[in-house]
Amino acid sequence: MVGFFSLCSSTHYYHLQLRNGSVQYELIRPIKYRPRSIIRCCSTTRGKAREDYYQVLGVTVNSTPQEIKEAYRKLQKRHHPDIAGYKGHDYTLLLNEAYKVLMRNSPRNAGASGRGFGRGFTGNGYSCWNGPVRSHALFVDENKCIGCRECVHHAGETFAMDDVLGSAHVEVQFGDQEQKIQVAVESCPVNCIHWVMSEELAVLEFLARPQQKEAHGVFGGGWERPRDVFAAANNFTKRLQREEQQDMARQQRYNNGDACEKGETERQAEARHRAGQELRWKRLRDVWNGLRDWTKPGVDGP
Amino acid sequence: MTEQLYTVASDSETTGEDKSQMSFPDVAIGIDIGTSNCSVAVWTGHQVDLLKNTRNQKGMRSYVMFKDDSLSAGVTGGATREHGHEERDILSGSAIFNMKRLIGRMDTDEVVQASKSLPFLVQTLGIGVRPFIAALVNNMWRSTTPEEVLAIFLLELKALVEMHLKHPVRNAVLTIPVAFSRFQQTRIERACAMAGLHVLRLMPEPTAIALLYAQQQQQLLHDNMGSGIEKIALIFNMGAGYCDAAVAATAGGVSQIRALSGSTVGGEDILQNVMRHLMPDFDSLYAGQTMDRIKSIGLLRMATQDAIHKLATQEHVEINVDLGGGHKVSKILDRGEFEKVNQSIFEKCEGIIKQCLADAKLTPEDINDVILVGGCSRIPKIRSVVLGLCKKDDSYSGIDPLEAAVSGAALEGAIASGVSDPSGSLDLLTIQATPMNLGIRADGGNFAAIIPRNTAVPARRDMLFTTTHDNQTEALIAVYEGEGNQAEDNHLLGYFKITGIPAAAKGTVEINVCMDIDAGNVLRVFAGVVKPQGQAVPPFIEVRMPTLDDGHGWCGQALAKMYGSTLDVATIPKKLHP
Repeated sequence: MVGFFSLCSSTHYYHLQLRNGSVQYELIRPIKYRPRSIIRCCSTTRGKAREDYYQVLGVTVNSTPQEIKEAYRKLQKRHHPDIAGYKGHDYTLLLNEAYKVLMRNSPRNAGASGRGFGRGFTGNGYSCWNGPVRSHALFVDENKCIGCRECVHHAGETFAMDDVLGSAHVEVQFGDQEQKIQVAVESCPVNCIHWVMSEELAVLEFLARPQQKEAHGVFGGGWERPRDVFAAANNFTKRLQREEQQDMARQQRYNNGDACEKGETERQAEARHRAGQELRWKRLRDVWNGLRDWTKPGVDGP
Repeated sequence: MTEQLYTVASDSETTGEDKSQMSFPDVAIGIDIGTSNCSVAVWTGHQVDLLKNTRNQKGMRSYVMFKDDSLSAGVTGGATREHGHEERDILSGSAIFNMKRLIGRMDTDEVVQASKSLPFLVQTLGIGVRPFIAALVNNMWRSTTPEEVLAIFLLELKALVEMHLKHPVRNAVLTIPVAFSRFQQTRIERACAMAGLHVLRLMPEPTAIALLYAQQQQQLLHDNMGSGIEKIALIFNMGAGYCDAAVAATAGGVSQIRALSGSTVGGEDILQNVMRHLMPDFDSLYAGQTMDRIKSIGLLRMATQDAIHKLATQEHVEINVDLGGGHKVSKILDRGEFEKVNQSIFEKCEGIIKQCLADAKLTPEDINDVILVGGCSRIPKIRSVVLGLCKKDDSYSGIDPLEAAVSGAALEGAIASGVSDPSGSLDLLTIQATPMNLGIRADGGNFAAIIPRNTAVPARRDMLFTTTHDNQTEALIAVYEGEGNQAEDNHLLGYFKITGIPAAAKGTVEINVCMDIDAGNVLRVFAGVVKPQGQAVPPFIEVRMPTLDDGHGWCGQALAKMYGSTLDVATIPKKLHP
């Protein structure tokens, strides 16, 4: 096989091998040139770059699944290796990834903007992450919080006080050293600081924020938050899943995206290109942030 | 290979009719090598043309006739020209056929075992190496290999195309069954290389049909007949050797493969079932191959084949055949009986479609068109099973069941060769999906899938693994492909060792295994230590899979016996689902 391969290996193959070698290069590139940044959080490692994914596909955050699909197809037609040759490989990988992530999340987004349920839920949490996303995260049950400021005192980088609501919340996940955080957690007189799974964090943080109640005329409006945020989160997740399934089914049925052949402007193309670059860099950064504090079991890489 | 030794089915002396087609010298041709029939097509600048051989056939029987030197000189047209005689010659023992079912399979494979009832010699030792295959030449078994047989066939096919196009052909797109393992794909590539063809793409048969469907939808749009609505098609392809299903979403000339599934079940199995039904003592009767037994099997085979073809249109068929040696079959076979005999095959087809729909996360109501192709799609029961599962009354009618795959392959050949068409009929794209899970052995004998099946190609995924022992400095990465949860249930593609892992407590080292599939469906595996980082870490390893050449049956066992669990890796529990 090898003999055969080298026999017919044109320059294309050669390029391919060179570039694919860059996987390794990407993974072990030294970090010292890059500042360690606080990464904007959300519940997933990939989602932090969701804005970039939208840019890769050249769609807006509010795009419907149809628009995303169309954009994906249009770009595939230009960049797929069948058409563009081997130089399209890396870009198509990116497209596939972006499409996968966005299509998985988009029914939820579509539901959020369309119906009343789960309005405003983006799948992102509100707190930031210092360093890589880890398996566990801190969450303050703001219903129980009495506003004692103990946690803010012990770990000021992590916790912050909301003076309007009179309760504390997590501002930056792992903003302080492990030890300080532990002290802060233990210092809470009502034990309202919880370690939760990172996946659940976004839902919990979303639900812990006061939601606007549906008003009937002048009555019944205002703001509320669930009494038991954990139970509410369970319900919420279940409902989300159900809606997602329904959406999938519905979306398959009414797929009426028309194939409009709009050419994109140069600037849009450039923006897409930049987003692609950014996405690749961010990924490296994650890996490297992970490598730096490898004493802690963390999750890095996609 | 000395060419005079063989004469080939599609062997064709120059024909009188010359079409003098306009063609681009570098356009890849499309070839559909079926288990029983084979065809070739080429993009001629504005459409796809199927090429005919000297006997004016578009679909040529795939077999290679082995004849003695002196004899082959006289007869150049392969088997005799009349159809009845051809079939008899094929079954005389001196022709090798069904090579698509034999290629790249170990002798422990049940498909190989089932092939023992074929008129030529298939010998197995049951130890996981390639079977011994031989054709009868002058009352002697002359050994060959499936690759060689296929190469001879492809060589003749290539000659046929070159004769039509009047220029040398180098590149080809071949269709393969979904169930083909990557190892089998390399065998096809090798056969092509032996025949002087460079494989541009190996595309699963249903995806070639999806491409043709996309072109037709696009055409409708141009004629202002259709709308730009995304259409979902379920493609079911059942030929003599394999059965595949795919779900493709098509819009704007892009067909996106949502799910693929396939299995090694086809007309050959139906034929054998019916033969066994007609002759209940089939196996004991034909245990060893002697001349008269081969002849007798041949007669039974032909009669059965004929009966099955007739059952497609008739309710019952009468079989009357004298097999010689005092054996006789005279029976009336009706459709109900036929369907009962092949119950298990129809159930398998049902399973394939159900899995395909489930993988695509679709319900039968979402399917716009059901496309039925392949020789077995004529069987009424198959049609009713597929249409019933998809809750449709009729199948899509715009596609020829026997010519679709090769036309799709020729289209893909033109697209991948970079041909553009001003009228826009080549403005197409197939986004392929991986038909099987790809992963490595981890956590003991388990299979950890890195690229799950039905991932859009090109794909790149990585996964972190860790060591299972303290101070483990070497780790074995064994790459498998398949659906099983246990590594041993899947096809072993290759293995390599990561050495020089820094000594550390178990579970602290992180090994990154990254798999990359490019548009040409080439799989590369990258692996190396990512944590701890430092000077002492060995460089990454890049391996093009599959690396195994032969005998992959016992490789896995030998590795297990030799190293046990000393080189094992473990998955790092996934804490986050990205």
